[in-house]
Amino acid sequence: MTKKTAIIASNGGLFEAYKVFNIATAAAATDHEVAIFFTFEGLNLIHKEANQQLPMPEGKEHFAEGFANANVPAIPELIEMAKELDVKFIGCQMTMDVMGLEKEAFVDGIEVGGAVTFLDFAQDADVTLTF
Amino acid sequence: MIQTENVLDAKGLACPMPIVKTKKVMKNLGSGEVLEIQATDKGSTADFQAWAKSSGHEYIGTETEGDVLRHFLRKDGAGSKEETIAIPEISLDAFKDKVENGESLTILDVREQDEFEEAHIPGAIHIPLGEVENRMNELQAQDEIHIICHSGRRSGIAGEMMAKKGFGKLLNVVPGMRDWTGKTE
Repeated sequence: MTKKTAIIASNGGLFEAYKVFNIATAAAATDHEVAIFFTFEGLNLIHKEANQQLPMPEGKEHFAEGFANANVPAIPELIEMAKELDVKFIGCQMTMDVMGLEKEAFVDGIEVGGAVTFLDFAQDADVTLTF
Repeated sequence: MIQTENVLDAKGLACPMPIVKTKKVMKNLGSGEVLEIQATDKGSTADFQAWAKSSGHEYIGTETEGDVLRHFLRKDGAGSKEETIAIPEISLDAFKDKVENGESLTILDVREQDEFEEAHIPGAIHIPLGEVENRMNELQAQDEIHIICHSGRRSGIAGEMMAKKGFGKLLNVVPGMRDWTGKTE
């Protein structure tokens, strides 16, 4: 049976974005069914504008060079890759309401749902991760 | 070095891109086909081993050339693979004694053309590893055959392929031409 990986993304920095999308694409490439629930600042990772310029943690800005040297793909590229691999993106409805954001502000193809939408997917997941 | 037409260039890509690209290419291959992935990501060796295991492919091995890692995977290998047949080994020293005693031996060299041309044991039959599958019928299955390569790894793979097809008296020379001090031509 297909393995399932359920990920919660609740932080909005560049490092979190890599943690989330690297694991997600790697799992999807290994034939896992993958869903990511983006909540609170995690929504930045799929916000059309915000995800182009996610912040490095304070004091860690010097890693920018390391990212360039290691030829790490940009976050929007990883998102495209994840979508091609059928990773499911779920935006947290409640957070969007709080922040006054509409579905259109986010990358195409996301679902919007509540905690139960994610729990339904996660209840029989083989791997569950929170970032 | 295994010769395959299916080569994926993943050089310069960071994790998890080599795996993601491999997944895409693998989808279009037929069962049993071999894919070579060229990568520079040092973590990719462990990743490909794990990936092959969890996605039902066979991890054949990795060759290192400078900074480039060449990984070889066989599609659906794990699912269709019969149990591995271990080929008996013969040490290079014992093999050298046999050669120098003038015994009439069948020696199969499975290295690439340029390696073979550079130096090989007089009388050795040359079939590069990538052609062994299709050309092993040039040899007699009942003969005792000494298989040799550079280090003993490719000859082991060749031996496994041949044993599955009914070759019964194979000996893998370990290591291989790397440490050969006898006559060459």
